[in-house]
Amino acid sequence: MISYEFLTTQKIEKALNYLDKFGKVHILAGGTDLLVNLYKESPRLPEFDYLLDISNISELKFLTLVDNFIEIGPLVTHSRLINEPLIKNNFPVLTKAACSIGSTQIRNRGTIGGNIVNASPAADLLPPLIALRAEVELTSGKGKRVLSLEEFLAGPYKTKIQANELLTKIKIPLLGDNYYTDFQKIGRRKALSIARLNLALVTKIDEEGVFHDTRVAPGSATPYPQSLPETEKAIKGKSVYNIDLEEIGKVTSKEMVSITGERWSTPYKKPTIAVLIRRALKKIIEEVKTNE
Amino acid sequence: MNKITVTFIVNGTEVTLKVGPKERLLDTLREQLKLTGTKEGCSVGECGACTVILDGKAVSSCLILTGQIGGSEVLTIEGLETDGTLDPLQQAFIDYQAVQCGFCTPGMLMSAKALLIHNPHPSREEIKTALEGNLCRCTGYEQIIKAIESVVKK
Repeated sequence: MISYEFLTTQKIEKALNYLDKFGKVHILAGGTDLLVNLYKESPRLPEFDYLLDISNISELKFLTLVDNFIEIGPLVTHSRLINEPLIKNNFPVLTKAACSIGSTQIRNRGTIGGNIVNASPAADLLPPLIALRAEVELTSGKGKRVLSLEEFLAGPYKTKIQANELLTKIKIPLLGDNYYTDFQKIGRRKALSIARLNLALVTKIDEEGVFHDTRVAPGSATPYPQSLPETEKAIKGKSVYNIDLEEIGKVTSKEMVSITGERWSTPYKKPTIAVLIRRALKKIIEEVKTNE
Repeated sequence: MNKITVTFIVNGTEVTLKVGPKERLLDTLREQLKLTGTKEGCSVGECGACTVILDGKAVSSCLILTGQIGGSEVLTIEGLETDGTLDPLQQAFIDYQAVQCGFCTPGMLMSAKALLIHNPHPSREEIKTALEGNLCRCTGYEQIIKAIESVVKK
């Protein structure tokens, strides 16, 4: 049976003190994953003696534009991400992904920081955040360090966060002009579904209709969300007027299997990931053509 | 295991309780406060039967530890009627026969109430989104949506 002492605080400094002072602390934010695992006594839960509730630390609930970055506090909920004009206007791919998470009840509690640190292979915010080149700031009693999100993720349900560190900021660089984004997801049903596959696409398309700086990140496709450099290379330099979507789909399928090897789900996921990249590209190409 | 002292507001009344470290808001409501209108269905945030309104937002009370909500305000199904008069949503559920076995009803009503607090004139799509975390296995959703629409039109 799982047994622990409950700690709660409204201050970052106090939370860091707890992390320094006590061993085996598990952090609780929105709780939409953790409480499920606690209820099920999931073997995925690491052993812990203390549960540290950070959900009331108001210093971690900011969302602001600072220079050329949007900075997001880890306790910002999915609902807030959806309703923030700053996000909708700059990163619609993030809004679309947040809309696809769970249900209203889940989105009202679940947080962006929780989605990142939980590091589920099926997390819906990780592909768009990777494609947006997000960075995470980790704070401990000794100081701060910043990692790119892609570098921070270390495996399925694993990150490089240390036991004495707290995720304190998510930083996303603004995209500039002529960028287009899309998020695609397939689940077993429309609401409350865990992604069977999802995919974020962020790209620049210049005045001539040529793809530049293309970034593609799928979820539930690889052991943990990561960019697909081969797919990105295949798209870059192509034009919205003659890109061969079938061909790109094949590259994406091949790249996914080259990372995962043949698994029980491969016969389903191999053609399906091709559909997702084609859908995302089609959506963006239509958008470019309507803007002409 | 340490007990935690928590003070919060339930249906307009302040309560101070000792709760266990694993005690969920759902457990506190049903077992300590005897507010058994809030139902336990799946216990993992998928069915919506335990939905309550926490600081103005619909949440699954099975996914919150009571230790987390000091200073917050909770509204449960018991707090919907005022001075013996049903909330318009409750009356509409009766009028539109949106209740069969009744197990999902408190959660449905709390999700609908939370929606109307922030958006008094939602579209049908917005109503469906607000209810996407609530499962009903008897009446289906049509009567429930119609009941909510009838309140919106008034």
